[in-house]
Amino acid sequence: MNPDTLFQLSGPLAMAGWLALAASPLAPRLTQLAAGLVIPVILSLGYTALILANWSSAEGGFNSLAEVMLLFTNPAVALAGWLHYLAFDLFVGAWEVRTARRTGFPHLLVLPCLVLTFLFGPIGLLVFLGLRLVHGRFATQTAGGLA
Amino acid sequence: MTDIAFAPLSRPASHKGLFDAEPLFAAAGMLIGLSLAPTLVAMALDQRQFLGENVWLKPVKFQIALSLYLLTLAFFARWLPAGLTAQRSYRLYSATVVFAVIAELAWISGAAMFGIASHFNVGTPVMQGIYSLMGLFAVLLTSATLVHGIAIRRNSRTGLPPALHLAIWLGLVLTFALTLVVAGTMASLPGHLVGTPVSGATVPIMGWSREVGDVRAPHFFATHAMHALPLAGLLATALLPQRMASRAVWVFAILFTILVTASFAGSMAGLPLIPEF
Repeated sequence: MNPDTLFQLSGPLAMAGWLALAASPLAPRLTQLAAGLVIPVILSLGYTALILANWSSAEGGFNSLAEVMLLFTNPAVALAGWLHYLAFDLFVGAWEVRTARRTGFPHLLVLPCLVLTFLFGPIGLLVFLGLRLVHGRFATQTAGGLA
Repeated sequence: MTDIAFAPLSRPASHKGLFDAEPLFAAAGMLIGLSLAPTLVAMALDQRQFLGENVWLKPVKFQIALSLYLLTLAFFARWLPAGLTAQRSYRLYSATVVFAVIAELAWISGAAMFGIASHFNVGTPVMQGIYSLMGLFAVLLTSATLVHGIAIRRNSRTGLPPALHLAIWLGLVLTFALTLVVAGTMASLPGHLVGTPVSGATVPIMGWSREVGDVRAPHFFATHAMHALPLAGLLATALLPQRMASRAVWVFAILFTILVTASFAGSMAGLPLIPEF
């Protein structure tokens, strides 16, 4: 299988995980299993296999920006890097949904965080962490200072 | 956070099974079995060849073999003397065995990743040193069959039918003795083939040569004594009266040893186990 075919397979797979997360109030356990475990594991397997198969032949490395850029000129390694994003972003998205559910954070507020995490990983995480911080304070105040 | 994701997969603590008697061997065997998943995908992605075969075929074979090996030992460990696996000396020993197994796999997989030979690679002093160390580790990991075999033999409270008890410990001890001779000899050769193949015909899956002697065939039989004898013991216990059953196990052990010796002698003489027709 060439990197292009795998790339085309990886997109819909990750997308299915994100859609499951968006709809997670309907089936919390099932969507956590899919988006928090099964799909990240499949993507991580693909990543591992790509690295095993291509690392020794790839040029470049992690020691300088130029080396990192050279590393990602190898299509298989670039695909591995892409799978890394997909797997970890989805895992973080599943964590956001899980944490929100546990702490009573409204799912409607998680949705924009999911979109941002899907598109721009760390930005979505930052927004979620920020919203959760504010929500926690706000919830404490409305609870009359008891919590 | 991950505890929620993994909660449905964890077993209840009261579950009795493979993990109870020798949890370290059971867990290591399971993990090595799981490591097949990325290796098989790597094999599907990677077109590189080594000696006419996909570079990842060898790690796959060793992962299957060593996973099965540890899981078999973990399964038989329920008949070890009570308290043995709790002893500090035993725990140190079994941890060393698992370390040796993982070191072998790491070396074989690493060699595959870089497309170099993991065995019979004595081109440079460093490689020669590693190969010797791998030989030492191989003996160390195989010694677990001898240790378990002797310990199970000494345990009079297994509750097993005598013929099955005999078949289990004898199978383990034979695995050690036969593997040591066959694999030890193979390691001293320049390669696992005796003779030079022309067409490259091999036995499916196993990959043994069908043209010249291949010492991996007797190695396979020798190491599977730990499975063949207990199976024979099960059959004998089911079909024969008690005393006859134990004799039948001894007869089977002798025949099995003859099979290993014959296939070993044949491969050393340059003869294939399954010739081309």
